[in-house]
Amino acid sequence: MEALNLRPWMVLPLLVIATLAGEQVWLSHLRYEMSLDSQRLMAEKEAIKLESSKLRLEIASLTRPDRLREYARSKLGMAPPRPMQVLRP
Amino acid sequence: MINKEQIFIRRRIEFVAGLMALGLLLLVVRAVDLQWLQSDRLSTMAEKQRYREYVTLAPRGPILDRKGRVLAESVEIPSIAAIADEVPEARINELAKALGYSPRRLQKKLHGRKGFVWLARQVDPVQAEKIMALDIAGVRMEKEWRRYQPLGPVTGHLLGFVGIDGKGLEGIERRWNSQLSGEPGVRQVRRDARGHSLPDGVWLREPTPGKGFTLTLDATIQSIAYAALAEGVHEQQAKGGSVVVMRPADGAILAMVNWPGYNPNDFRHYNPSEWRNRAITDVFEPGSTMKPFTIAAALESGRWQPDSQVFCENGAFRVADYTIHDDHKAGWLDISGILAHSSNIGSAKLAMDVGSTPMFDMLSNVGFGNRSGIGLSGESPGIVLPPERWGPVETANIAFGQGIAVTPLQLAAAFSVFANKGEFVAPRLFSDQVEQRRRVMPEKIASEVLTMLEYATSEDGTGKYAVPEGYRIGGKTGTAQKPNARGGYSKGRYMAVFAGIAPVNDPQLVIVVVVDEPEKSIYGGQVAAPIFRHIAESTLPYLGVSARVDEQAGWRNMAIAAEAPALNGESLVGLSMREVRRYAASRGLRLSVHGSGWVRRYKPSMPLALHEGDVLEVWLND
Repeated sequence: MEALNLRPWMVLPLLVIATLAGEQVWLSHLRYEMSLDSQRLMAEKEAIKLESSKLRLEIASLTRPDRLREYARSKLGMAPPRPMQVLRP
Repeated sequence: MINKEQIFIRRRIEFVAGLMALGLLLLVVRAVDLQWLQSDRLSTMAEKQRYREYVTLAPRGPILDRKGRVLAESVEIPSIAAIADEVPEARINELAKALGYSPRRLQKKLHGRKGFVWLARQVDPVQAEKIMALDIAGVRMEKEWRRYQPLGPVTGHLLGFVGIDGKGLEGIERRWNSQLSGEPGVRQVRRDARGHSLPDGVWLREPTPGKGFTLTLDATIQSIAYAALAEGVHEQQAKGGSVVVMRPADGAILAMVNWPGYNPNDFRHYNPSEWRNRAITDVFEPGSTMKPFTIAAALESGRWQPDSQVFCENGAFRVADYTIHDDHKAGWLDISGILAHSSNIGSAKLAMDVGSTPMFDMLSNVGFGNRSGIGLSGESPGIVLPPERWGPVETANIAFGQGIAVTPLQLAAAFSVFANKGEFVAPRLFSDQVEQRRRVMPEKIASEVLTMLEYATSEDGTGKYAVPEGYRIGGKTGTAQKPNARGGYSKGRYMAVFAGIAPVNDPQLVIVVVVDEPEKSIYGGQVAAPIFRHIAESTLPYLGVSARVDEQAGWRNMAIAAEAPALNGESLVGLSMREVRRYAASRGLRLSVHGSGWVRRYKPSMPLALHEGDVLEVWLND
């Protein structure tokens, strides 16, 4: 029974050790959560990159000069200007 | 008794202790087995369970035009594969239908095979999802990269294409394959019991993304050139053609197109001979487009001036055992006249006077006979014989573009010398390529030849159809017979060429148009010049160069015409041939000249009453 009779100077280090241990556990939990988050964000980034290259390609296809030319001619009834009609290019 | 009992107890204790010792021994044996004997295998197994390797894909770099528009880009696309022996026999019909195959064809693909088999590569994502929704055992979806060129045939020859395994097979894609293709990375991570990765992953190999390339090309100009060439080739019922558009100031290639085109997104359906970028791989005899260089060599010799007169033998001139003919028979012509009337005889005489070595030096200085080093594979250096093999006939022929072969790109680079006041600027296709320039002729000579080139596109010259309204153009037409397989010239197969500079007062573009085997007309001035005009009149406003009405006849104000007016409005008698031609050109009259020297009489007697396009006939004598 005498062994359990702790002195105050012995309690302090124990408390410190217990707190540090607890914090360590908490930190590793945080680290784990963050790594999950970062993995998710990385995957999202990759997906967005792919999406953006797809969209860039789509823009390039939709604004193809020959397509615009055809559209302007047939749908909008436009014609290329004569050089003299271009005042300020 | 007590002893006996004690002994019994002792034996029991010894027995139990012995058992425990045996147990411990077994544990030690097992520990040795696990820790030493099996340690390698077990730790590998454990690591396999804990560690996992992920492959990070590095897409191929994009190719962009000078304004950042996408010319080629890779996108991820699904492919359908299967583990052949896992696909249940009963569902083959269903799978075949979803793939769009006949069941027999699918059977053939899967039959007798065990492992991985591609069923359909690079399919439509919607179709892939439908197939996966069938949930057939052994069928799986894989991700692959596919290269797209949004401009398709317009940029096909230049960019080339990428095979199904991501390797560049033609054009820029092939030449720069190792830079364009990225290196996939491998990352190793530790996983927890639930399969989530822990944060201490390491790169076994860092991914290197493919390098993107920015070209000097302009998608708009490329498209204009392609459309103009297609229309011109169609109109002339020609076999094909090439166009190169270059900015002379820095050698930037703004467009490089060939007709017929092919769709690089679907290259397998075209004949491999159609994949070639003929603007750099194929050579042709430049014909009369060589004459400006002959004239430049003559002027540089110091023995000839722009107004020197050359007798053009009225259309036939014998060199050794060979007779040179002119299409437009002429007597005396000054040097601009030789260019404007495209006289073979005049050019041959100049070249023979200058000599083979200076001629050869001029041609190789402006880039003929050498690869331009533009950064494309398959580029031809052209054919220029070494000067020791030039006899009089060769010298005379080369003077008007026969017995020499060039690529359209070389011709464009060479013409840019006149636009650059005598400096040769190497053509470049990549925006980060270093500009290379060197002086190859004095500024004065380049300007004089440019003035003559402008005269060659005047109403008097062969290149008049090349001039868009409101701009001043300098250029030269050319027509060359195509060689045949026997080393001679073929009858009836021609190349029509136009090389020109626009606008002459502030050169922004050098355009070379080559039309292969036109049917309706064979002359560069009628076949290739209108294509040049078409491209110039659409491109110049796009580049911010506006047209001006008063520029239309601007060549009259050039140095050659800066002298006092030769005519007081009363009589033409006593004028020199140059003066009378200048007068006719200034009024837009068509001139018919007889003899040489000074004007003795002319018809009609009141030239002031003539209108533009009317004929003025003059008789001259010494």
